[in-house]
Amino acid sequence: MKGDPGRELVVFTEALKVPVQERAAFLERTCAGDENLRHKVETLLSAHDRLGDFLEEPPTGASVE
Amino acid sequence: MGWSRRNTYWALRLEDGENGGGVRRVDEACWGASESSNMSDATVMLAAIEAGDSKAAEQLLVIVYDELRRLAASKLALEAPGQTLQPTALVHEAWLRLVGDQAPSFNDREHFFRASAEAMRRILIDRARRKHTKRHGGGYQRLDFEGFDLAAPLVDDQLLAVNEALDKFAAEHPVQADLVKLRYFAGLTNEEVSQVLGISVSTAKNYWTFSRAWLLNEMEG
Repeated sequence: MKGDPGRELVVFTEALKVPVQERAAFLERTCAGDENLRHKVETLLSAHDRLGDFLEEPPTGASVE
Repeated sequence: MGWSRRNTYWALRLEDGENGGGVRRVDEACWGASESSNMSDATVMLAAIEAGDSKAAEQLLVIVYDELRRLAASKLALEAPGQTLQPTALVHEAWLRLVGDQAPSFNDREHFFRASAEAMRRILIDRARRKHTKRHGGGYQRLDFEGFDLAAPLVDDQLLAVNEALDKFAAEHPVQADLVKLRYFAGLTNEEVSQVLGISVSTAKNYWTFSRAWLLNEMEG
């Protein structure tokens, strides 16, 4: 399964269900030495913390002001 | 009122960079011309897609694109200042105008929403690119009819950045990229998206969270 983009999604989704203080151990266990995968998921988890309402508002292509 | 509406028509025509086509479109939208023929065209294309006609999806996209542009132009021409285009409302109105209230098959909705998402993406990106070009001095002289093209530059720039990141995302995660197009550009809900993609609502939510994190990271990187 190494290098499978679907793995990134699965591990990210599962990691979000794990309490923050247990995530490092979860990733250690789940990625099992796949440092590339672990780095990718850690990066995504960090981006997740900054999401705010990113993309939640529809784009307004034009407006009449 | 008459004067300000006329100015908005001109702004739309110039905004669209066409030789008069925009005015005709606005007039059609206002007076409701040619609705019935478009409606039958769209249903014919939906049936053709179901029958496996490989060109029908592209033709449906053209029909949906034209209809959404017409609706967008009429909204911008008629609505009060401060109004913005709402993709969700446009897509659902286009559905009613093109397909009507005849009982659609499940697959018809899927094909229609996919075409709508792609059409809205093209409309919004083309518009943002033109405004971006104008702001940076290329192309045309800047036009500020009724403040029409003063829509926040940051919104346009984010739209273009999202679109660029989305192309990269699609190469690695095509299904999730489709979900982003349906949600972000066509304004579909999680429930609607899950039906179109044939996944559960909770999976749709998980994909959406993953996609937002991936795209934010890409755009910041």
